[in-house]
Amino acid sequence: MTAWDVFLQQVINGVSLGAMYSLLALGFTMVYGIIELINFAHFNVFMMGSFFALWALQAMGFVGQSHILYGLPLAGVLLLALLATMLGSGVLGVAIERFTLRPLRGVRGTAPMITTIGLSFILYNIILLGAGADSKNYANPLPNTAWMISGGATLRLREVLLWVVSLLLMLGLHYFVRFTKMGKAMQATAQDQEAARMVGIDVDKVVVITFFLGSALAGAAGLIFGLYYNYTSYIIGYQAGLRAFTAAVLGGIGNIPGAMLGGVIIGLIESLGGQYIAVRWTDVIIFSLLVLVLVFRPTGLIGRAAPTRS
Amino acid sequence: MTKIRLSRRAFNVAALTGATALATGFGGLSAFAADKVVKIGITVPLTGADAEDATLIKDGAMLAFEEANAKGGVHGYKIVPVVYDNGTATAGQYDPAQAATNTKKLVSDPLVVANVGPEMSGDGKAMSPILSEADMATITPASTNPDITNPKMAGQFRPKGKAVYFRTVTTDAYQGPEMANYFKEKLHVKSVFVLDDSGAYGVGLADAFQNRAKKIGIKIVGRDQLNPKEADYTTVLTKIKGLHPDAIYYGGVAQAGVKLAKQAHEIVPKMIKGGGDGISGGSFLSGAGFPAVEGWYSTNAGPHLTESPKAAKFVKDFKAKFNKVPDDYSITSYDAAQVILAAIEKVAKSGKKMNRSNIRDAIQNSHVKTLQGTVSFDKNGDIKDRTVSVFQYRHDTSHPADDLTAQLKYLTVAPQA
Repeated sequence: MTAWDVFLQQVINGVSLGAMYSLLALGFTMVYGIIELINFAHFNVFMMGSFFALWALQAMGFVGQSHILYGLPLAGVLLLALLATMLGSGVLGVAIERFTLRPLRGVRGTAPMITTIGLSFILYNIILLGAGADSKNYANPLPNTAWMISGGATLRLREVLLWVVSLLLMLGLHYFVRFTKMGKAMQATAQDQEAARMVGIDVDKVVVITFFLGSALAGAAGLIFGLYYNYTSYIIGYQAGLRAFTAAVLGGIGNIPGAMLGGVIIGLIESLGGQYIAVRWTDVIIFSLLVLVLVFRPTGLIGRAAPTRS
Repeated sequence: MTKIRLSRRAFNVAALTGATALATGFGGLSAFAADKVVKIGITVPLTGADAEDATLIKDGAMLAFEEANAKGGVHGYKIVPVVYDNGTATAGQYDPAQAATNTKKLVSDPLVVANVGPEMSGDGKAMSPILSEADMATITPASTNPDITNPKMAGQFRPKGKAVYFRTVTTDAYQGPEMANYFKEKLHVKSVFVLDDSGAYGVGLADAFQNRAKKIGIKIVGRDQLNPKEADYTTVLTKIKGLHPDAIYYGGVAQAGVKLAKQAHEIVPKMIKGGGDGISGGSFLSGAGFPAVEGWYSTNAGPHLTESPKAAKFVKDFKAKFNKVPDDYSITSYDAAQVILAAIEKVAKSGKKMNRSNIRDAIQNSHVKTLQGTVSFDKNGDIKDRTVSVFQYRHDTSHPADDLTAQLKYLTVAPQA
């Protein structure tokens, strides 16, 4: 591998990581955009998503790399697992909102945020007790296909899959928020809840949809995580969640394209920082960046896309 | 408020008196006199990434205690094991803070005379000073970081002076360097990238390996540290691929090791990969699985025992009792328990007081025949035997993929310096 190949490979690694962080960051950003709440339970909705996907794949008869599929059957299985996971995680997100956060809506101060931290621990311990603490070998129907590009760098099928799925989901979300009636209701609620209610928008419904979408995307990220690393564990939510949260703040919390951009930037910092500085400094670099952004550009790189509140 | 609390306390006192009366009543009926009980702690991380190996260690000691009780106890003393979990959900593996808490619980119970554990050196570093204050001995069947028993660091790990941290395995001062010898002499490795998992054990082992490797002329092309909670090691593996060393050496335990093995299998499949006793076990094998673990070398800081005829009876009993296959550290744990039981017997026979200090002194002067041979300690608590065994994961399809004895092939004793 030449220096150029190594660089290229690290960019591929970084964008893959970044795509995952982006999907996860979207959930933080959407919820914050609508009800100005940082939802720390999101960390472990992602973790549970990876378990939902694991169970869905196991239910379809996949254990480890026992059956490898190609072409249409592969697409079918993955689509089915993706739908099951997104539905499961989405419903989990809605339940979290309905039973623990809605009673606290309108409560001033940090009570709702603290509640989400507590919820995060509950989800974490449910999986710890239910599924055990050992790391799980992921059910994986993906072939180990890889393509050589530019001499030394390789592009694996799972990377391509990760990019494509993330991109489609993000474009879908973008379309939904910009062009559908419900999406416009979300934008209106984000701008001014009171006024949205006045013009007849069902704010509760908007909040429920927001939680559903954000959590479903976290679930999708969970599936992708499992397939990409061939592994899951009850502990994965914390690191990935914290990075994704940083990505959301970096891009400007409450801002959907910002979250996508932030995710990719964090992914690239992680891989290129690891290559040219050292992996042990990764967290230092990422969180120093978070501090710098908070100090010098509190609204993030892009800032809030929605018009400021009155 | 105060009133309620008072009445609750009164209730507790009443309940406690009742319970004590009951216990004494039943105690009289049992084979053991009520005052002839000693407790022995067992502290290993039963939660988290190393739970599988830790359970095998715990069971090894449990078997020894149960056998002793079945024979009517040790010189009339009934043995009561006290098991504490050194692992926490937050850490996802062993947790030194939890180990310290557990040790405080043990020393606060005067009936506890000694302890078996810990599995992890990070825990050991937290436990040793507390044990030293209490003059209570622990025998570790698995933790290998040399600092804890290093006389130069006695001020930190045994401020009271006497050795309290005994081992039935050798230390990384031999495990790391002897593996470096093996890399050079047997695998003809000329350059290596060294990784650790940021834990006390991992860093120490990787350092010991690296120093020896450098000395015998293996080129160190790089050194980096993995965060065990991180999922992604593709970055560092890509970096290693770009540097193309002959081998990777990993100092650390299963939590990071499992992910490293999986991703290394995809990025640098043909490179020689090795580690220490942290990856020599079921947690690593079942976590990473084949084909990812195929070809990985690992070591144990002691002789290989599970396949030796001397241990055949132990292996059979262990399987019958726990329905699991023991590993070598189940045996070192069984041996550790035997050493403690022998010390209890010695103290009981001598007529001295059955307390921690006397048990510690008896352990210090041990000369106990165990499954691995005669165990005796130097004045720092280290075992006198310094054998390091080398293994390699090789898929044997005629056995279940998680059968450690079948899948982890014993190769040889590592060349000593």
